[in-house]
Amino acid sequence: MSAKPAQWLGLVTLGMMTAAIFMVFVYVPTEAQQGIVQRIFYFHVPCAWVAFAAFALVALSGTFYLWFGQQVWDDLGYAAAEVGMLFCTLVLITGSIWAKPIWGAWWTWDSRLTTTLVLWLLYAGYLMLRVMAAEIPQVGRLAAVVGIVAAADVPVIIVSVRLWRTIHPAVLVTRQGGHGLEDPRMIATLLVSIVAFTALWLWLLMLRFATLRTKTRIDNLHRELLLVEAELADRSIQARLSPST
Amino acid sequence: MDRRVTSNQKAWAFTAILRKDLRLELRTGESTITLVFLSLLVLTVLTFALDAPAGDPAIAAGALWVAMIFAGTIGATRALIAEWQNGCVRALLLSPADRAAIYCSKLVASFVFMALAEIAAMVLLVLFFNLDFGIRLVRIAPVLAMGALGFAALATLLATIQVQIRVGDLLLPLLAIPVFVPALIAGVKATNAALAGLPFSGFTQWLKILGACDILFLAGGYLLFEQVISGD
Repeated sequence: MSAKPAQWLGLVTLGMMTAAIFMVFVYVPTEAQQGIVQRIFYFHVPCAWVAFAAFALVALSGTFYLWFGQQVWDDLGYAAAEVGMLFCTLVLITGSIWAKPIWGAWWTWDSRLTTTLVLWLLYAGYLMLRVMAAEIPQVGRLAAVVGIVAAADVPVIIVSVRLWRTIHPAVLVTRQGGHGLEDPRMIATLLVSIVAFTALWLWLLMLRFATLRTKTRIDNLHRELLLVEAELADRSIQARLSPST
Repeated sequence: MDRRVTSNQKAWAFTAILRKDLRLELRTGESTITLVFLSLLVLTVLTFALDAPAGDPAIAAGALWVAMIFAGTIGATRALIAEWQNGCVRALLLSPADRAAIYCSKLVASFVFMALAEIAAMVLLVLFFNLDFGIRLVRIAPVLAMGALGFAALATLLATIQVQIRVGDLLLPLLAIPVFVPALIAGVKATNAALAGLPFSGFTQWLKILGACDILFLAGGYLLFEQVISGD
């Protein structure tokens, strides 16, 4: 496994990220109603997209792992969950920073916020399982099952949370979708940001995946070594026993 | 012909394991007593913590479901965990019993324990929160039954994961509660609607979500149980 593709992707990420930061801070016009705070939107939305994509990948690789039983899928699922968790955390943080001046509160129990939080909790549980069960051999299967159950749960969560909030009056005025991307420069900035964050995601995923693959190879070598050692010990015992008998 | 034999065997294994679990429970009363006692404690704590006005259906509904979740995560899966304590699970896996039959029997056992505890919690709730005994309480029965079924289905699957991990004592609530969130929302809302005597349409809407959760958890548990129980 060469490090070349990851290096190239790293360079692409660097370039795209620089462009995105330039566009967010210099190029894009300030939104009329929300002011300067609205610029965090160009980081917030790509993070959300990446987090959702990462968690879908967790469920997908979990399914493949249970189906084919190859360690590659388990490693991919683990890497996707870790990186997805990072971006999901960023979504919650950037959202809070934006919500404080706009809604007047760091947090409201709006349906989207609640869904994201529950998603975060689901994958926190998944990662905790991975850490706690790191020593046992069937960890991949257990984690895959949790990943699949969590992903299957997401549609029900979305429906129930939305219904919960529409029946219950919102305490704050939640002007969702009030970002009003009326300027084409705003759309361009958002698109560049999405590409930049997707590249960043794939790059981080690749690095983490490569680390986990190496770890799997070390584990396999370790197991082989133990087998060889056991065989050698067995042979030496037999050699010691055979002259006397 | 062949298929009928296997389905008979499945049913036989299911009833045998379930009968064993229920008999064990009848002799010791361990799970049910633990669950009832936990529900009592949670309801007492919530009465103090909330200092709620008597007869508030929203708070009573919330308290009931908090009690159910706490009692459920701690006590509902005892029938399952008992198999691991003496290594009985190995014998269970060596027997020709189908994995799905093992799952279903453990699920039903957990459901029975939870249902008994919920009946007790319901009585305590009426007393503590000074609610009216009446026909309204009957409408809570399907909500609680569906809630217990969904939770038992989910917890049986996830507890099987937990028992295989030595340091995983608190893993079950960490995994189960976020997954159970939609059912919890629907359950609390439906209980509230039933207690407050709200119109039937608002009630059935939440029952539908609860039903969807039940189907999801049952199907997920039934399909994935084999993956978590077959030890390496």
